[in-house]
Amino acid sequence: MDSYNAPESTPSASSRPEDYFIGATPLQKRLESVRKHSSFIPTPPRRKIPQCSQLQEDVDPQKVAFLLHKQWTLYSLTPLYKFSYSNLKEYSRLLNAFIVAEKQKGLAVEVGEDFNIKVIFSTLLGMKGAQRDPEAFLVQGLILSPRLEYSGTILVDCNLCLLGSSDPSTLAFQVAGTTGACHHTRILSKSQLPSENRQGKVLWTGWFCCIFGDSLLETVSEDFTCLPLFLANGAESNTAIIGTWFQKTFDCYFSPLAINAFNLSWMAAMWTACKMDHYVATTEFLWSVPCSPQSLDISFAIHPEDAKALWDSVHKTPGEVTQEEVDLFMDCLYSHFHRHFKIHLSATRLVRVSTSVASAHTDGKIKILCHKYLIGVLAYLTELAIFQIE
Amino acid sequence: MDETVAEFIKRTILKIPMNELTTILKAWDFLSENQLQTVNFRQRKESVVQHLIHLCEEKRASISDAALLDIIYMQFHQHQKVWDVFQMSKGPGEDVDLFDMKQFKNSFKKILQRALKNVTVSFRETEENAVWIRIAWGTQYTKPNQYKPTYVVYYSQTPYAFTSSSMLRRNTPLLGQALTIASKHHQIVKMDLRSRYLDSLKAIVFKQYNQTYETHNSTTPLQERSLGLDINLETKFKSGLNGSILAEREEPLRCLIKFSSPHLLEALKSLAPAGIADAPLSPLLTCIPNKRMNYFKIRDK
Repeated sequence: MDSYNAPESTPSASSRPEDYFIGATPLQKRLESVRKHSSFIPTPPRRKIPQCSQLQEDVDPQKVAFLLHKQWTLYSLTPLYKFSYSNLKEYSRLLNAFIVAEKQKGLAVEVGEDFNIKVIFSTLLGMKGAQRDPEAFLVQGLILSPRLEYSGTILVDCNLCLLGSSDPSTLAFQVAGTTGACHHTRILSKSQLPSENRQGKVLWTGWFCCIFGDSLLETVSEDFTCLPLFLANGAESNTAIIGTWFQKTFDCYFSPLAINAFNLSWMAAMWTACKMDHYVATTEFLWSVPCSPQSLDISFAIHPEDAKALWDSVHKTPGEVTQEEVDLFMDCLYSHFHRHFKIHLSATRLVRVSTSVASAHTDGKIKILCHKYLIGVLAYLTELAIFQIE
Repeated sequence: MDETVAEFIKRTILKIPMNELTTILKAWDFLSENQLQTVNFRQRKESVVQHLIHLCEEKRASISDAALLDIIYMQFHQHQKVWDVFQMSKGPGEDVDLFDMKQFKNSFKKILQRALKNVTVSFRETEENAVWIRIAWGTQYTKPNQYKPTYVVYYSQTPYAFTSSSMLRRNTPLLGQALTIASKHHQIVKMDLRSRYLDSLKAIVFKQYNQTYETHNSTTPLQERSLGLDINLETKFKSGLNGSILAEREEPLRCLIKFSSPHLLEALKSLAPAGIADAPLSPLLTCIPNKRMNYFKIRDK
């Protein structure tokens, strides 16, 4: 499923403006024109409204349920050198050893005194846009605390030996301990651990994906795996340690992905355009006004049905969203606000948008609420990540 | 010690962050200095809590002791609740009696007990002639629910009381009645003013706003925030840009606008000079101190 109207292109190596234009992606064209304040009006950029793609039917809703309703911090990641999906067990072992070494150095690992943290690598099937996209994978850090004591006997059912089920399609490499020898101590828990999560509580999650990353995939050689979008949930210090290991091991580079106001308004428009059976959240925008002595936050929440009605009235091109429509949608909100408060929101800074599909913050934080449009949201984010890398 | 009391105390102590624990326990003043010295506060929290429960058992803590601990916790964590403001008034020609705290407390408690039979009422007096009241509500037939209490802060030298917005709204009329009668007033009215920050509410309501602001500047702790301003809009969309947008739609746009800032009024005032707002400022933005309201509903006429 192609999300651009313009033909695919490789980023131009030349630095001449004309070459830049001809070979540029629509995103680059738009930004170039904005930067130059030129009168050259490129074809207004368009994006397809996220639909339920066929590929999504392969994604088991339960398997991805844990990705929803969580706040993820976004990073862009340059391609990984010599990464192999068949070595996931080995990577788990190496990363575990690295974390233990870091802890012993006395560097802060946010786990508390008596806990052990174990990382597990697994692949996320179906988390891709086009067939060409590399498979997404997941890293989870779990707490194991066999020494935790409550009153009386506390036992955690320790199923560390479960080295994958006989069903090959699950592909979850559950790595036991350090050298493969398991703790067979039967420890039952008094606190309710969900039965499928027998290794322990998940403390940190990070996943790597690529949704419609064609423009990047074409530029790299076979030794590289392109997974430009990285999402992390959990303590910042853990992200730093795990990120350091990846950077050392695969010669790649993480960079925090911020989302500017321009892209936030695009996201708001696209997510409002998505067809929803029922709304789980109100549509909300947050602006920050840098005034003295301290900043002012203005939140504008609109009933999602009314937001949709406004969008439908603005929207003219079937199946797509254009720059003009995004601008008009935002202008309508600005003018409605101005009518009552005589405040020009366009002169302030949009920092957060929130809809029933997802919410995004300018600091590069995202929360996805709707399973149906997960791929659509990730596609846009992948685009931003790729742009940052290039 | 009753098992329900033990459980309640345990859950209350578990809520308290470790760095506040000794302060709150000292303020509670239920466990003796000697007892507290036997506790190793460096252990894992669950162990500390168990030890403390054991000590409470030794001293036979009652529900009223537990309720007092809960009040103290709430005094330290006021911002966890949203506070409403009630204003009472005396009837015309009524005398201004001297306030008697003891009489107030007795009367308040009696009124609630007579109406509901099952209710836990606790008091804690603080400076500024204020009294914190905690009410755990039951019914004629059920015991009070200790986990959903209402808190009231009544400033006895003023006609104002602040109450935590409670889920159990059916008790609000009774609460209002008890407050009014016990404090020898005639009428009680809920103001359109609410915030998580009691200090901000006090500032607006006790007309000290300008004064307090000057001291705020130098001594404001980082967490201190001012009131917000909430405006509920239900107005039709009328655009100057493009007449056809939403032209046929009869229904209004349902919007909720919130302004928030550490120093809201100052921030709003600075918008016009910065060119972000047209001068003069919309009256909606400037009337908080005068009207003493911080949430509004605007509808098309």
